[in-house]
Amino acid sequence: MTDGIQEETVLIKWKGLGIRKIKDSMAKVVSYLILALMAGVLVSIFAYILGSGAAHATISMFTTFGDTTTGGLLNAIIGTWMLVGMGLLFSIPPGILGAIYIVNSKSNTRVSYIVKLFTDILTSVPSIVIGLFGYLVLVIKFGFGYSLVAGGIALGIMMLPYLLRIIEISFRNIPREQIENAYALGADDIKIASRVYLPQASKGILSGILLAVSIAAGETAQLIYTAGFNNALPTGFLKSQVAYLTYVVWTGINQPSQYSHYLAYVSAMILILTITALIFLSKYIVRRK
Amino acid sequence: MRLHNKFFNLLTFIMALVPVAVLSVMAIFILYYSTPSIRYEGLSFFTTYLWNPGFEFKPPVSVNGVLAPAGSSFGLGLFLLGTLSTSLLAIVISFPISFLISLNVESYLPEKARKFTVSMIELFAGIPSVVYGLWGILVLEPVLFRYIEPWMSKNLGFIPGFRGEIYSGAGLIASGIILSFMIIPIITSVIVNSFETVPKDVKEGVFSLGATKWEVGRYLMTGYSRASTIGGTLLGLGRALGETMAVLMVSGAIVNTLPTSIYSATNTMAAAIASLLDSAFFDPTGMNIAALSELALVLMIISLAVNLLGRQIAGRGVLRGYEND
Repeated sequence: MTDGIQEETVLIKWKGLGIRKIKDSMAKVVSYLILALMAGVLVSIFAYILGSGAAHATISMFTTFGDTTTGGLLNAIIGTWMLVGMGLLFSIPPGILGAIYIVNSKSNTRVSYIVKLFTDILTSVPSIVIGLFGYLVLVIKFGFGYSLVAGGIALGIMMLPYLLRIIEISFRNIPREQIENAYALGADDIKIASRVYLPQASKGILSGILLAVSIAAGETAQLIYTAGFNNALPTGFLKSQVAYLTYVVWTGINQPSQYSHYLAYVSAMILILTITALIFLSKYIVRRK
Repeated sequence: MRLHNKFFNLLTFIMALVPVAVLSVMAIFILYYSTPSIRYEGLSFFTTYLWNPGFEFKPPVSVNGVLAPAGSSFGLGLFLLGTLSTSLLAIVISFPISFLISLNVESYLPEKARKFTVSMIELFAGIPSVVYGLWGILVLEPVLFRYIEPWMSKNLGFIPGFRGEIYSGAGLIASGIILSFMIIPIITSVIVNSFETVPKDVKEGVFSLGATKWEVGRYLMTGYSRASTIGGTLLGLGRALGETMAVLMVSGAIVNTLPTSIYSATNTMAAAIASLLDSAFFDPTGMNIAALSELALVLMIISLAVNLLGRQIAGRGVLRGYEND
């Protein structure tokens, strides 16, 4: 900052800056070391999972059905997407329409405050509690059985608060005048929603959906007791169990056979690649002008 | 036309109520399913630590008007201890790391590398918990078991609880480390965001008075962001309390044995629900499921309270892995 280095060192000594300068350099070194450590951990996780996955992946794992000790992962891969799709089916309508309600409500702010509060609380419900609820109520009480619907609702409950909040934020980023102009031209709420909110916030909505998918695809605890596992594809929406990748990771590594471990590695590799790609895509969409 | 509009507004209203309804229904049902256990165990659910499913082939006994398997007893002590100790260890590890990373990003890192670094830290939040568990079993546990824990026991053994038998890498330390990786992105993003709210002219002013970057970070920016830092840490704690799969895989998932040292296997409330629900199906009286529901109820109340407090302090709009802008 100052030009005369000589002068500065004198000042440093004079004001006792020596010890403070050392403290500053130490903080700098330590914080860089911590950053390097975290980068190392991240590289270790990615390298280990991707490396052991790639080392044991075979073509047949991607083309055949399996049961976590023999066969492949195709049923689990498709099942994961089916469950995530069901989750979206249950969470997108309340996510978008609920967000429209929140940004539209000018007079009844108390209701929208309560909705926002409950949405926030819902993100903090532990996933296994949603899983237990899904088992007791959806699987047993409503008689859905281990199924796409039960697993999809359990995932949807987890995805809904993320979707709702992100969509709400992207609605709020729309210039206020644009909405007011549309009202002034005589448009009603449906027109505003379909012609202003949805097209203007489409990137935000898409990015939110991708983020919710990336979270849902990696979840396990909600699904253990709501989706079950299936050696093939589910035959219907109800009472037909579904396979998913995180289950293969969890059970595969606990089974004695070497091949189960390989299936677990490959599933973990697929998961980590898919989820990282989704996160980057979600960020890319928002950043792109 | 007006009718359409009314219908549409009603529809958005109903859809907005979905989160409210879901959470209420969930809480009511979990409470409803745990009532048999509340009546059977009463206060001893909170004061004991033995979790005994009972003899399913003996005739059930009737206690306080509810049927339970003979010889069964349910106490959350061990699980509560495990949940609190693993989460606190995670906070102890992740808070200084998150703070130093935020300081580094704000003060030392070149402008160009900031976004990249923040995105890198956010990647930690995207890794699925079973993948953390897998990495924990294959990489972290062997390292802890072979090198770190023997070293700690030998050199830090004078601290109470630090000397003890090392059975495997699984347990409190492994769980705490894995949990800390999961919550570092949460705490870091909250702190980084709040560091950014420090007015530029105040910062420049303090610099011009001769303060070092560390002093600006330690005294000025921390002062500005104290509330969000505490709030963000609570949000991280809330996440750690409810984490299930990774902890289930690296904690040792022990039942009925109190830990003798920090190297002992442990278990948490969330992991216990996931691992014990399987066998609870076979209890014809349903008491095992009721007891697990009560465990879920307590877990839900604790993590909701911590999260609400964190959100209240940090302010709204903090979502995992998503910047609020």
